Amino acid sequence: MATVTYSKATRIYPGTERPAVDHLDLEIGDGEFLVLVGPSGCGKSTSLRMLAGLEDVDEGTISIDSRDVTHLPPKARDIAMVFQNYALYPHMTVYENMAFALKLRKTSKAEIDRRVKEAAGLLQLEEYLNRKPKALSGGQRQRVAMGRAIVREPQVFLMDEPLSNLDAKLRVQTRSQIATLQANLGITTVYVTHDQTEAMTMGHRVAVMLDGVLQQVDTPRALYDAPANVFVAGFIGSPAMNIKTVQLTEQGAAFAEMVLPLTRQQVATAHADGGNGKVTVGFRPEDTDIVGASEGGMPIVVELVEDLGADANVYGHAAIGGASERFVVRTDRRHMPNMGDTVFIKPRSEHHHAFHAVSGSRI
Amino acid sequence: MRHGRGRFVAGFLAAPLAVYLIFMIWPYVQTLMYSFTSWGGFSNEAPFAGLDNYRQLLSDDTFQAALLHNVFFLVALPLVTILLALFFAFLLNVGGRGNRAGVRGVFGSSVYKVIFFFPQVLSVAIIVILWDALYRTDGQGLINFLLIKLHLVDPNHPLQFVNDPTPFLGVPKVLWWILIVVVWANVGFYLVLFSAAMQSISKDIYEAAMLDGATRVHTFFRITLPLLRDSVSVAWVYIGFVALDMFVWIFALTPQQGGPNHASEVFATVLWREAFTRGQFGYACAMGVAMAIFTLILGAIQLTATRRERIEL
Repeated sequence: MATVTYSKATRIYPGTERPAVDHLDLEIGDGEFLVLVGPSGCGKSTSLRMLAGLEDVDEGTISIDSRDVTHLPPKARDIAMVFQNYALYPHMTVYENMAFALKLRKTSKAEIDRRVKEAAGLLQLEEYLNRKPKALSGGQRQRVAMGRAIVREPQVFLMDEPLSNLDAKLRVQTRSQIATLQANLGITTVYVTHDQTEAMTMGHRVAVMLDGVLQQVDTPRALYDAPANVFVAGFIGSPAMNIKTVQLTEQGAAFAEMVLPLTRQQVATAHADGGNGKVTVGFRPEDTDIVGASEGGMPIVVELVEDLGADANVYGHAAIGGASERFVVRTDRRHMPNMGDTVFIKPRSEHHHAFHAVSGSRI
Repeated sequence: MRHGRGRFVAGFLAAPLAVYLIFMIWPYVQTLMYSFTSWGGFSNEAPFAGLDNYRQLLSDDTFQAALLHNVFFLVALPLVTILLALFFAFLLNVGGRGNRAGVRGVFGSSVYKVIFFFPQVLSVAIIVILWDALYRTDGQGLINFLLIKLHLVDPNHPLQFVNDPTPFLGVPKVLWWILIVVVWANVGFYLVLFSAAMQSISKDIYEAAMLDGATRVHTFFRITLPLLRDSVSVAWVYIGFVALDMFVWIFALTPQQGGPNHASEVFATVLWREAFTRGQFGYACAMGVAMAIFTLILGAIQLTATRRERIEL
């Protein structure tokens, strides 16, 4: 049980100019499940490894429970980590794998046995305790890696993309298991993933990173409803938000035959700081309807329809300012258009997001 | 194409098979045959002697001492070489930690790796010349010179090195000095072998061990060593070959090629002397056969031992 605080933590890999993690400020509460998410190379794994002590911190500090651990070796931090490739000890049985850390700490045999059996029960691993990792399936190995972390009863759990080596179905299943487990154990957890669905479904709060810089950290709901900038807007949600930079008018953002209204203040902010009469506007496919020709929608020519069973994604393009722009709309299956049709799309009112055309931040 | 394929294949197989039979198998058979004679090597006459040669082996003190020396090398040489190579390889690859994060070798490990490999590049003759200079038994030898300067050795009684037949831990001291040279010459190769094996172990595993609270010593004995078991057993076999041979080292480094006073004789030097200086070819052949039997027994033991290990895995 602990809080974790990154304070201006920076990592610059030797021989590179740009920091892999740039002045990261982040507070993680006691018992919180925080997810670090971002595209590959955004510094999320590096941040996690800095907390683990596997990566140097060049500037700033990291503290666990207000104890400065910035330059402490990994074993002095009382953390447990689940690796992407599980990093199980191949020459030890499942039991020995889980008991290893406890043995090193000279825990009594009975206590080790109790804790390992307990964790094995929790993870349905009892029947595999005498097997070597080689004789386990991917999902079982993943659970052993979890078990190895659990028996430690650490202050903080670290998980580095623990599900990315599982197949899609198992991933969804394990996802909920991990979330439930964390809720029951109540141990502060930092979880790294590149999958925004995992981030949204598992995290109490989600921290979105890009190029070593923290973009936004908030609840999944807030990230979805009010993304702080264009990157977060495009990263969270699937299919991705339609984001276009268009001409700014007095009334709002001018799309083809459609103007999305902006407040007077939004217009003013968009004009400032070299906005140059442009504004970036985004609207989610699921917040957009296909409407009749006279209802003020934007005409798009349908080029692809993805039938997902419950609903369908309609891809199409429209000419805006002389360029052809692609749009995606999620629609009811009953209103599926055909390829080549022209349909009118319109975001529901108040469901579009405006960003500054240059800085990309929310306005 | 099928027509005459058998003949085609046989045509290619015949030549190497013939070479093998003539130059490998036939000499074995010949050796076995000569071992039952008292052939002198230079005449056409090889009088049949039955088991006389083998009976003589049983009462030949020099031969039995030589056998014991081979056993000494067989035990000591792999043990010391492998332990040192493992230790160095560990330091060069994962032993460095200090106050920096992550898994890495000690400072300057890439330079050390080259230095450790140097002896492997030198030919045995060069190594021997080098160590002759180090092992000189007067004040001009490098080691004696330094030790005398440091007042650790009496200038009137410098170290005798390979001229010292007095026993140390039950074996003539000369053998220990030779052990040092052979270890020095071999350790670099096994260091590189173990380095390669260690690099194939995923870094994650070391990191997991670090997070689990393992110290360097724990990491070495609980993680690295068990995962290198295959490489170590291969290395053991290779060094075993060296230990059973040792001819070049003894021949080039010791006085009287096995001296002083036969204190450093091994199988191969005794055999060589019997055959080529004393002209006892029949007797030497018997020694060769005995050596082959001894090696086969060792091989059988090794095979059974490793087979048991495999089942455990």
